[in-house]
Amino acid sequence: MLRLEHVSKLYPTSVRPALDDVSMDVDPGEFVFLIGPSGSGKSTLLRLLLREESPTSGNVFVANWNVARLAPRKVPKLRQRMGCVFQDFRLLGDRTVAENVAFALEVTGKSGHTIRAVVPEVLELVGLDGKGDRMPAELSGGEAQRVAIARALANRPLVLLADEPTGNLDPETSDDIMLLLDRINRTGTTIVMATHDRQIVDAMRRRVVELHLGKLARDDARGVYGASR
Amino acid sequence: MNGLAFVWREALGGLRRNITMSVAMVLTTAISLGLLGAGLLAVRTIDRTQELYYSQLAVQVALDEPTSAGDRDCTSPTCTGLREQLQADPLVGGVAYESRDQAYQRFLRIYAGQSILQLVRPQSLPATLRVTLRDPTRGDAIVAGYTGRPGVRNVVDQRALVQDLFTFLASVRNAAFGLASIQALAALLLISNTIQVSAFTRRTEVGIMRLVGATRWYTQVPFLIEAVITGVIGAVLATGGLVLGKLFFIDRLLGGRLISNAIPAVGMSDVLLFVAPLLVVVGAAIATATGYVTLRLYVRN
Repeated sequence: MLRLEHVSKLYPTSVRPALDDVSMDVDPGEFVFLIGPSGSGKSTLLRLLLREESPTSGNVFVANWNVARLAPRKVPKLRQRMGCVFQDFRLLGDRTVAENVAFALEVTGKSGHTIRAVVPEVLELVGLDGKGDRMPAELSGGEAQRVAIARALANRPLVLLADEPTGNLDPETSDDIMLLLDRINRTGTTIVMATHDRQIVDAMRRRVVELHLGKLARDDARGVYGASR
Repeated sequence: MNGLAFVWREALGGLRRNITMSVAMVLTTAISLGLLGAGLLAVRTIDRTQELYYSQLAVQVALDEPTSAGDRDCTSPTCTGLREQLQADPLVGGVAYESRDQAYQRFLRIYAGQSILQLVRPQSLPATLRVTLRDPTRGDAIVAGYTGRPGVRNVVDQRALVQDLFTFLASVRNAAFGLASIQALAALLLISNTIQVSAFTRRTEVGIMRLVGATRWYTQVPFLIEAVITGVIGAVLATGGLVLGKLFFIDRLLGGRLISNAIPAVGMSDVLLFVAPLLVVVGAAIATATGYVTLRLYVRN
């Protein structure tokens, strides 16, 4: 599903590469934790998968797309099949919950008919049925992240990328979000989640890929966060 | 189409959100397009005036005193010789003789009631051969060819006399175009700036759009439409300004008795059918081009 081949990324403003010869494979339906301290290259890796950046060298594949070589006009097609969630939720404050989810469908050209069918469906999936008319400001952090997840799922992505999705949440709410992500993963969606949250990683016992200073430091099939950090 | 509604809504929302910038943008565009329109009208008026004059202009070959005094209908050998030679010239369209008496009568008619009449006697006016040219700009050849010939007092190309008028009109046109280009630059910068501000205020939305895979149609076209709406409103305002300018300034200026025969009037159809469509097209085109370049340079996709 995802494949990195000797990927390096050097930013012009930095002497040390953000990613240094990283190769990895993610099979369809896998759940992968991407761990490592700040600056280890986790976010860069996610950005390369989304073609927010292009690698300095190496190849990036998502499904059948050669991401680094993708023509700019085809990038939207790639992103439509990748869902994204972030630490800061990134909801539009002037739209309701349902409108926030509908937004992702609307700007990718889905019909009104599809939007009316899909929005309640994904809201129910993330456990927000009946809360479609709320404004983001009225939501708890956990609820806001559920809206973001619903929006990411609206276009039925092949892969869900999550960049520290629990970073702004208390442990209990984090556990709820992880339950949700686990449930989504069990329906077949591949998930790559960058995190600092030791407890979550240890509790889930999923594949762990650790980056350190841009290098691949560890890749365990059923790993824990690790004692060293 | 679904996307069209979205793009329109976003564009109008953008204009509303940055209302002060939008108004500044519209006004600057309007002024610049208005000046451009004024320049275009000046060009049109100059062309018409030239047409009007050139069809009537002649080269006057004034005859010397003996011929003027004695020859009532160009029967003297001097006059006949000159006339035949002129008629044979390929540059010449026609030759008409005006005797001293006829010249004086015309003079009386033109300057009726003015004090200059007291000073002029028939003897001051020469008889002339009025030469109309096939190409009115070639008067210099006749001037060069007949000045100093026997029986000729002097040769005057009337086109040289009205040249001052055309020079004046051309300077009006140049001034209008000059101001228009400075204003156009200001309009370009404002449009560019407004799009950047607009893109900045909507950066969260655009960021989300990009992430969920919205195409350029959704992420960029709203900004372009915003710019185009500005350009078109600017053009409409500019046209309104030109109509008012025509009614309250040009018409009064050219409506005066002295000048009304000298310069043809600017018609409402000139403003509405000739200049207005051009301004709309130019306004929209400039806005689109500026918008496109701005999005390319400053706004990530």
